[in-house]
Amino acid sequence: MLRRLLNHKGFLLTMGFILFITLIGIFAPVVAPHDPYVQDIMNKYAPFSWQFPLGTDNLGRCILSRLIWGIRPTLGLAFLTMLGTIALGGIMGLLSGYFRGPVDEIIMRIVDIMLSFPSQIMVFAVVALLGVDVRNVILANVFIKWAWYARMIRTSVIQHTDKNFVLYSRVIGNSERFILFKHILPSIASELAVLASLDIGWAIINISTLSFLGLGVQAPIPEWGAMLNEAKNALTTNPIQMLAPGIATVVLVTAFNFLGDVLRDALDPKEEM
Amino acid sequence: MIKYITKRLLTAIPLLLTISFVCFVFINAIPSDPAEVALRVNQVTVISEELLEQTREEMGLNDPYLIRYFNWLIDCLRLDFGISYVNPQRTVLSEMIRGLPNTLQLACWSLVLVVVISLPVGFFCAVYKDSLFDKIMRTFIFMTTAMPAYWVGLLLMWIVSIKLDLLPTSGMSDGYKSLILPSITVALTYVSTFIRLIRTNMLENMKQDYVLYANVRGLKQSSILAKHVLRNSLHTCIVAIGMSVPQLIAGTIVVENVFAIPGLGTLCIEAIFNRDFPIIQTYVLFIGILFVSFNLLFDIIQTVIDPKLRKEF
Repeated sequence: MLRRLLNHKGFLLTMGFILFITLIGIFAPVVAPHDPYVQDIMNKYAPFSWQFPLGTDNLGRCILSRLIWGIRPTLGLAFLTMLGTIALGGIMGLLSGYFRGPVDEIIMRIVDIMLSFPSQIMVFAVVALLGVDVRNVILANVFIKWAWYARMIRTSVIQHTDKNFVLYSRVIGNSERFILFKHILPSIASELAVLASLDIGWAIINISTLSFLGLGVQAPIPEWGAMLNEAKNALTTNPIQMLAPGIATVVLVTAFNFLGDVLRDALDPKEEM
Repeated sequence: MIKYITKRLLTAIPLLLTISFVCFVFINAIPSDPAEVALRVNQVTVISEELLEQTREEMGLNDPYLIRYFNWLIDCLRLDFGISYVNPQRTVLSEMIRGLPNTLQLACWSLVLVVVISLPVGFFCAVYKDSLFDKIMRTFIFMTTAMPAYWVGLLLMWIVSIKLDLLPTSGMSDGYKSLILPSITVALTYVSTFIRLIRTNMLENMKQDYVLYANVRGLKQSSILAKHVLRNSLHTCIVAIGMSVPQLIAGTIVVENVFAIPGLGTLCIEAIFNRDFPIIQTYVLFIGILFVSFNLLFDIIQTVIDPKLRKEF
């Protein structure tokens, strides 16, 4: 599978692009031409120039610098969300699929209830309950998403537990924990990776939407959704301000979606449409 | 058939009860004391310990949890959802009813757009698979899934309303005109899903034996497509679109905010900022009930229109 991926030009390009963006985000203090917080009210709504490649916003801050600094919360929060989701969903799915019986029954009923609620509304409800804060946004996203993962991972765990090598391992007396972590988990790891990369795009959009509504990352911090929220207020006077963060979001999410598609095709070559 | 429908109706009841219970737990999980909030809402300035205890007794807060839940449930069935924390003069019900028409209007128009756009596009994508049109549409779908709805809304607002000055930017003052852009925005997020669904469904149907047989019989391509393939895939699509209606209504939250439409979504976001929990609770309950009932309705419709599913019960 890995070899097939390495020969795939699209995969290498997208992967390279995502790594590139991540690196820019990590080295934001070096790369960004200006301080993203420095306001220069005299110089607001500046057009594109060498000094401000993407112009300035309603407070005279350099948009390019804010965009670069914005990679950190945008990508970081999305990664964190997926990490949390996979951890919770993975553990629940693993427990449920491996031990079956009453454990399975309880977890799956909870999953059913979770999935019967519209996810978008659940995010709002959880944020409302916990209060407006970035941490709560991540919690809310993990809370609504883990059920999907738990169900999918359960299915693949069930498929693996009946395989001969697992049965053999049990026969020779390995402990349950050993089987779970040394046999089952590695077998489903690749599947997990695909699922996660498919959903990072979703997480980015979701978090930036909440920030746009003012429920997530708060104003002075440069996050793409929050930047668009500020741009919205200047829509009539300086519409250009909303282009950069929006296009950046679209490009990044497209990259992640593409990556997910490629990975899925590589993992399951049958399913080509 | 009747047996199936009653069975299906009965399975919906526990689900509805669970949803209502979650909503009830939700409002009881908030960190503030409901009795204190109630006093503050009624503008009692001095809140003493005795007064609190008295209010608790009056509101039935000292009763066991389950009894309180049943009392609340009965109130809900009588459409009494309590009063807004922020606006004590207004009941939650009146606030909801005020916003509902706008949201429904928006959702209806979006639904019409989704059907009108995705059906023909999905159909032609399947018929002319791998043609230029199909490829363009697939790229378009791929792009739209990456676009946040609010940004699409802002772009449309900028291009159509500000640059070209064709339509009002926001609000609901211009009748149907002010709903055009928001419904396009809402529709755009769902169109891609349905184009894909219709396309895959039709392609699957085209591989079936009955299409081959129809070809062997020498029927015209157009009549095979319209009468056999399209008809068979329409079943699935109608059901999928029907089941997505509550999602559409819930999905208006963001778009309503961008275009400043005074609907349920705007109400909900405002309530989140003001920590107006009864409104949020009612909204969640409302959407949850919509979800269950639409699922139920279209499940039944599906079994009625699709003879293949009828054997199962």
